[in-house]
Amino acid sequence: MTAIDVRSGRLPVGGAQQVPLLDIRGLSAAYGELLVLKDVDLRVNTGELICIIGPNGAGKTTLLKLVNGLLKPSGGEIWFQGERIDGRPAYKVARCGITQMFQDIQLCPTLSVVENVMTGCHVWTRSGFLATGFQSRGARVEESVIRAVAVEQLNSLGLAGRASAWPRQLSWGEQKLVGLARALVARPSLVLLDEPYGGLVQDEIDRLSCLLRELTVSGMTVLMVEHLTDVVMDVASRVVVLHYGEKIAEGLPQEIRRDERVVASYLGE
Amino acid sequence: MMNPIAGTKTISPVAGRPNAGRYIPYVVAAVVVLSAPVWAGAYLVSVLTIVGFHAVLALGLVLLTGLAGQVSLGQAMFFGMGAYLSALLTVRAGLPAWPCILVAAVITGVGAALIGFAVLRLRGIIVAGVTLTVNLIFYYLVMSMGQVTGGATGLTGIPRLPYPRGMPYSVFIFAFVWIGVVVLLVFSLNVARSRSGRALRVLNILAGGGEDTAQVLGINTMKYKVSAFVVAAIFASIGGSVYAHYTGVIEPGSFHVQLSVLVAIMVIVGGVATPWGAIVGATLMIGITEVLRAVAPIVLGGPTGAYELVAYGAILVATLLFLPQGLCSLPERVRRRRRADDGH
Repeated sequence: MTAIDVRSGRLPVGGAQQVPLLDIRGLSAAYGELLVLKDVDLRVNTGELICIIGPNGAGKTTLLKLVNGLLKPSGGEIWFQGERIDGRPAYKVARCGITQMFQDIQLCPTLSVVENVMTGCHVWTRSGFLATGFQSRGARVEESVIRAVAVEQLNSLGLAGRASAWPRQLSWGEQKLVGLARALVARPSLVLLDEPYGGLVQDEIDRLSCLLRELTVSGMTVLMVEHLTDVVMDVASRVVVLHYGEKIAEGLPQEIRRDERVVASYLGE
Repeated sequence: MMNPIAGTKTISPVAGRPNAGRYIPYVVAAVVVLSAPVWAGAYLVSVLTIVGFHAVLALGLVLLTGLAGQVSLGQAMFFGMGAYLSALLTVRAGLPAWPCILVAAVITGVGAALIGFAVLRLRGIIVAGVTLTVNLIFYYLVMSMGQVTGGATGLTGIPRLPYPRGMPYSVFIFAFVWIGVVVLLVFSLNVARSRSGRALRVLNILAGGGEDTAQVLGINTMKYKVSAFVVAAIFASIGGSVYAHYTGVIEPGSFHVQLSVLVAIMVIVGGVATPWGAIVGATLMIGITEVLRAVAPIVLGGPTGAYELVAYGAILVATLLFLPQGLCSLPERVRRRRRADDGH
């Protein structure tokens, strides 16, 4: 991978330019009159695990919502795999290869665990009302493929035997894993994670860190918002710090730890 | 990817699949109902036919409200559209009945798509209010277009559907309606268990889902909501067309919002979360109506209309208080109670 300037997140001038997976240029967002994100630039390359940190109200979750299409920016551009995606509805952004695990997971309570994971396959499947209602051959084949993919993902995350359970019967940690499984079966190029470590105990934190490392090694890219600083410094390949909607720092974890502005505004002594 | 928990068992891809054997009681029930003309009298067959018409309406509403979480009080309008379109095409234009039913369904579906795109941008109870209003507009349009629709006196002389010789027409319609109910029930069950059904459940705000979650999963929420709305309208339209050719006479009062409200009560009482709830609710509510019509004049005196409304209200309140998931949730509730008792 081409070395990048950790301060700007930009590729060095000259030499072979690698097209970033996600390229955010001068992004701004506002809720009414309130500007919550101001002119943020960020480039994310394939296989990176970027962590966004900052105090409450810094605009971290807003940034994820802008990337996944749930919010429309008031300024700036978002490019993904060479295509401009800002302003597209969220379902079209998902079809480009971006998926998200929400902070509160948002599993569907009326679907079993395996069915919840199967919903993640929606993005690459096609059967509509008539095909499924009349059980066309294509719909039946597709359904069995979806189920097999979902079960395999549950197996790989250690959720064997929980396929038929209801979300309310799972622990918080297990629900997080189901949410992650649902995101992964979408076969995304970029996974957005909003505080995935929230509410987890130490064993679960370690397990999730292990999983995230494996994901990035396998070529997946992760953009994560997280409050647990120690975990962030452990798993992140790069850290971005937001403060009152502005990017105040970007760099390797050890550099962020030493950054005076970050220490003053967020990390503390 | 490596399994992060070493030594855990794995599950096969068929885990969580529904067990086909548990549907045997329902197949038996279907056979019993469909053989009613053999063991029941003409009156019971006609009551079961009316139950079937209501079940068709309620099945559409289960897809729309139970799965997609969109509360509609306009099902009677689509029932009426099917009835009037098919009746007008046969009576005024002299076209054969079967194609007219299909044409009516297509026109109703297009109309529902247009209404759906406009109405389903709204959320929650507002959708119910707007669909109810649209139903009222339809009612007054039919009333005011007397030269075409027959106005308040209705449309008469609607031809019967072609039916086999040697079979009473009422029995033919009974069989046709209930075979239709079974087909639509199977269709609805298949949708509920499939990719489309899961997409609808994920966006169902009433059942703990959310449109943001659905969109992030790649689900075009508007397309799915409108699709459910159109399918429910087409169910109602076909039911309405067959109803017109069954009775031979239609008038606007048969398609008033009261019918939409009654169908909504049927779905709530039977169970909004499963297509079976539509059939259970329709059977119970029509059954109670018929019992009241027979008993109330003798026991209480006077017309039965007011007693019916009181009974509907009481059943609705009792269901919401004691069995909010509807009658179809009762077996699961009993099983859960038994498991809890065994656990102690």
